Amino acid sequence: MSLLERHRNIIDFALSSLGRRWKKNIALTLVYAFTVFTLASVIFFTEAVKREARAVLQGAPEIVVQRLMAGRHDLIPAVYIDTLKKITGVGQVKGRLWGYYYEPSTGANYTVVASGNPPLEPGTIAVGQGVSRTLHAAEGDLIPLKGADGAYVSFEVTRVFSHASELVSADLIEMPAGDLRAFFGIPEGFYTDLTLKVRNEKELVVVADKIRRLLPDTRPILRDEILRTYDSLFDWRSGLLLVIFAGAVAAFIIFAWDKATSLSMEERREMGVLKAVGWETSEVIAMKSWEGVIISLTAFFGGTLFAYVHVFFSSALLFEPVLKGWAVLYPRFQLVPHIDPYQVLALFFLTVVPYTVATVIPSWNAATVDPDSIMRL
Amino acid sequence: MVELKHITKIFNRNRPDEFTALEDVSLLVEARKATVFKGPSGSGKTTLLSIIGAMAKPTSGRVFLDGREITSLPERFLTEVRRRTFGFIFQQFHLIRGISALENVMLPAYTTGEKHAALRDRALRLLDLFGLAAKARSRVEWLSGGEAQRVTIARALVNDPAVVIADEPTAHLDTKLSKDFLGIMAQLNAEGKTILIASHDPLVYESALVDRVVEMRDGRLRGSGQAA
Repeated sequence: MSLLERHRNIIDFALSSLGRRWKKNIALTLVYAFTVFTLASVIFFTEAVKREARAVLQGAPEIVVQRLMAGRHDLIPAVYIDTLKKITGVGQVKGRLWGYYYEPSTGANYTVVASGNPPLEPGTIAVGQGVSRTLHAAEGDLIPLKGADGAYVSFEVTRVFSHASELVSADLIEMPAGDLRAFFGIPEGFYTDLTLKVRNEKELVVVADKIRRLLPDTRPILRDEILRTYDSLFDWRSGLLLVIFAGAVAAFIIFAWDKATSLSMEERREMGVLKAVGWETSEVIAMKSWEGVIISLTAFFGGTLFAYVHVFFSSALLFEPVLKGWAVLYPRFQLVPHIDPYQVLALFFLTVVPYTVATVIPSWNAATVDPDSIMRL
Repeated sequence: MVELKHITKIFNRNRPDEFTALEDVSLLVEARKATVFKGPSGSGKTTLLSIIGAMAKPTSGRVFLDGREITSLPERFLTEVRRRTFGFIFQQFHLIRGISALENVMLPAYTTGEKHAALRDRALRLLDLFGLAAKARSRVEWLSGGEAQRVTIARALVNDPAVVIADEPTAHLDTKLSKDFLGIMAQLNAEGKTILIASHDPLVYESALVDRVVEMRDGRLRGSGQAA
C-alpha cells in the first residue's frame, strides 16, 4: 500500500508539474496524438477494408474462367460450359454477363451486370447508391443510357441498393440479361465469363490446371488470387499514405526528441530541490517517467480513439480518395468496427515506449545531481 | 547528536579548479541546542551544513548521527536518513514555482508513502501554525518574502525532523522578519528540535536563542568551535 501511495503522490506531483508547463505540453500532446491518429487511421482503415473485401468475396465463385484473345479479355462461348462440367470435381458452371458503361456527363464508369434472382422485368434496372447519387436517379425515374449501337435506351429504376452493400454495389447497374445483351451487343451463345463451383477446395489448383489444358485460350482466376490482389492493393495504398505522412511523423519525432531529451534550467533546478528535500534519484526519475507516460498515453489513447471514430463512424473522411481509389463514385459506407489487438500493440510499442524511454535518459542525467548543489545556487 | 571527525571536503579534485572547502574539521553538535556557524562568505559554513545534513559526503573523515556512522551509507539509505532527520531552510527558499504553498509543504513527504489526505492535513496544520492558512492555495510566487520563508519552514518541518538546518536564513529579510524567524526557531528549539544555522548576520549569532556560536574561516573552525 505504501508503494502505491508513494506512486500516487509522485503521479500527483507529475500532473501538477505538467500543468505548470501546460502550453508546451498541450502542444506536444496534440502533435503526438495527431501522429498516432494518422498511423492508427491508416492501419484501421486498411485492415477493415481488407476484411470487408474478404467477407464479400467469401460468397464469390471459387473459379472464374475468362477467354483471352490476343492477351485481352474476350467473350467466352457458351459451349465451353459443357467442357468445364466434365472436369472431375466441378459442380455448377454458370455464364455471367457484365460490362462497363462510361457516362460522359458525370465522368463515372459504371459496372453493368445481368440481374440474378429475382430477375428484373425487361426495361427496368436496379442501381447502386453511387449511381443513384451521380445520376440523381431515384426509384421510379427513367434513365437514358447510350447502347452499343449509339442509340439511347431508357430504363426505369425499380430499386436502389442499400447502403450496407455500398462498398461493392456503389457503381453497379443491374439489368435483365436480355436487355444487357441488346444494350452491349453481346450475341446469344456468348458470355462475359464463366463461374465454377468446386466441391472440394483442395482441388482448386488441380481443376484450374485442367482448365488451362482443356481450354488453352482461357484463364482460370481463383478466388484466393483475387483476395491476394485486394490485399496487396490496399497494402500498397496504405503504404502510399504512410509515405505522404512520413514528413509529419519525422517532424513529430524531432519535436518529441527535442522535448524529451532536453530539460530546461527550471526543470533541472526543480529536480535539485526535490533531491535536497529528500527525494531519491530513482524517485525523481520515476516522477519524470510518469510525466512521459501521462503524455504518451494521453496522446496514444486520444489518437487511437479519434482514429476509430474517423474510420468507423465518418467513413475515413480525411483520406478516402487515396485509400478507396474511385475517381467519382466514392462509396459512402460504414465499415464494421474491428480492431486487431496485435496492430494496436505494435502501434503502442512504436509510439509510447520510445517516447517514455527518451524522457528517462535526460532525467537520469539531471537526477543524479548532488542534493547539496541546490545549496550553492 | 551529530559528530564530525576529521572532515575534509575538496571540490573538483585533481582538476585545475580544485579547492578545499573544509579541512580537517572535527565537531560535536549537541542535540536540542541551537548552534550558529558564523563566518565570512567562502568560509565553508554551507558545505559543513550539507555534510551534517547528509546532503553531501566528505572527501575524507566520518560523520556519526546518534552514534551511527552514516558516511559510508549508500545514497538510498542516506536519503532516508536525510528525509527523516533533517529539515532544510535554504537561503534562496527554493520553493517550486507554479504550485501552491500547500503542495510545496507536502513535497518532502510525497515519497514517504503516507496517505495523501493525512499528509495534506498535516501540511495545512503547519501552514496554519505559521499564519498562512489563508494562503495555502496561493501560488508561491504570489507570496511576500516573509510568507515564502514561513512556507519554507513549514516544508522543513513536514516530516517532523529532529534537526532543522537553516542556511543564511535572514539574508533576504528585514529586521522585523528576521526577528520573527528567530522567534519561530526559538519555539522549535523549545519543543526539542536541534537548530543549526549558518549566518554572518549579528542579529542571528547575537540572538538569545543561540546556545553556541562556531566560528569558521577558510574551511577551518576557529577558537571555541574546534573540538578538543
